[in-house]
Amino acid sequence: MAAEEGQVVSCHTLDAWNEQLQKGNDSKKLMVIDFTASWCGPCRFIAPFLAELAKKLPNVIFVKVDVDELKSVAQDWAVEAMPTFMFLKEGKIVDKVVGAKKDELQQTIAKHVAAASASA
Amino acid sequence: MAVSGFEGFEKRLELHFFGDDPKNMGTLGLGLRLLDFDSIQEVLDEVQCTVVSAVANHYFDAYVLSESSLFVYPTKIIIKTCGTTQLLKSIPPLLRHASLDLGLTLSSCRYTRGNFIFPRAQPFPYTNFQNEVVYLEESLPAALCYRKASVMPSKTPSHAWHVFSASTQNTTCRFGDSDEDDFYTLEICMTELDRDLARNFFRRPGDDKNGDSAGKEMTELTGISQINPRALICDFAFDPCGYSMNGIDGDRHSTIHVTPEDGYSYASFECVGSVYDDREDVVRMLKKVVQVFRPATMSVSTTCESHEVWTRVAGALEPLGFKCRSCAADEFPAAGTVVYQTFVDRRSNNYNNKS
Repeated sequence: MAAEEGQVVSCHTLDAWNEQLQKGNDSKKLMVIDFTASWCGPCRFIAPFLAELAKKLPNVIFVKVDVDELKSVAQDWAVEAMPTFMFLKEGKIVDKVVGAKKDELQQTIAKHVAAASASA
Repeated sequence: MAVSGFEGFEKRLELHFFGDDPKNMGTLGLGLRLLDFDSIQEVLDEVQCTVVSAVANHYFDAYVLSESSLFVYPTKIIIKTCGTTQLLKSIPPLLRHASLDLGLTLSSCRYTRGNFIFPRAQPFPYTNFQNEVVYLEESLPAALCYRKASVMPSKTPSHAWHVFSASTQNTTCRFGDSDEDDFYTLEICMTELDRDLARNFFRRPGDDKNGDSAGKEMTELTGISQINPRALICDFAFDPCGYSMNGIDGDRHSTIHVTPEDGYSYASFECVGSVYDDREDVVRMLKKVVQVFRPATMSVSTTCESHEVWTRVAGALEPLGFKCRSCAADEFPAAGTVVYQTFVDRRSNNYNNKS
């Protein structure tokens, strides 16, 4: 787990995905899931920014899911446009950002991190 | 009119490519979507704009730019930029990356624009259409040997539609993508927006929102979200005013850009449709566009193989109080027929003074 801190963790298999989800739920940390695709230009545009955020925010878990690799997950989560960012806390979806929107992504993370530290 | 202000009228470039590698072609191919972001950044640097937000679906990528929009389909790129941007400088790096990185070759090119409100603020070659045509002619490969440039007039001297088109084949058909033949493109330019409606595109002071969330609010508040309720919208509100959005609906894009300042207010709406759509679709859509902006004048350019769509446009706008003042049609290589119509709101001063 420590090795993954500060990084965006890519889940290539259903097992890896379920494991990350479980870890995220247990840790009670904010989890940001980036639904992405290899052919999606806007995903390549936002990827370096997401990596920066992950580096700056070790208390937030960043997970990347390729919608072609994990089709069933993308379907279950009703992902239609890329990138889609889902915000999870203890297994519950607390927010969603559709599109590569830097300010919106950063502010949404800040909002939920602040909420977590306020209630802690 | 203000001495100078922000130029809302866009320049628009549409490039079509083809290649031998099947992985690049057809609806399942990725083609131009495989361009890395550094290459896109290089192109946008030349044009002098940046990406502010973006979204994609299975069919294409849509970018909202600091000055308008970029759409990347597997074999087609559309760049539309306003202000004093250098749009045509995008051609050399785009052709180079498409060829070297992806093995794609240009098959057709179309450049369109309206009349600038502040023509003297434009840099070379946008100072006059002849210069732009020379610049285009020199930028394009010799293989695109069927070329045509035309300024389509209207009865209002401040409105004219500038079209340049070039193709490798001597046909007005949009070859290559046979399913594209049934598509039409509408490019609408609106000026003198209703002042109260234009105010909706100013940020509220101290709203502490970012450009993304303020844009989302404008999309809802103004009724833009209702123009095509099926479309997913990627929107952005500029500070202190101005708005841009891209809509993605399956394999069809739409886009709106608004410069709301009084004296040179402007809004554009572009969308693609199929001649096989329900005839009422375009009527419903235009009605909503008019409700959002209520412009005193609007021009509509319809690019299509079929002659049917532009009559639907007039049929949609006339019951809304618009009078068609002019209609011009011309054929262009690889583009089909372009019909340019101008409309004036019967209730506006323009109508009362000039008719």
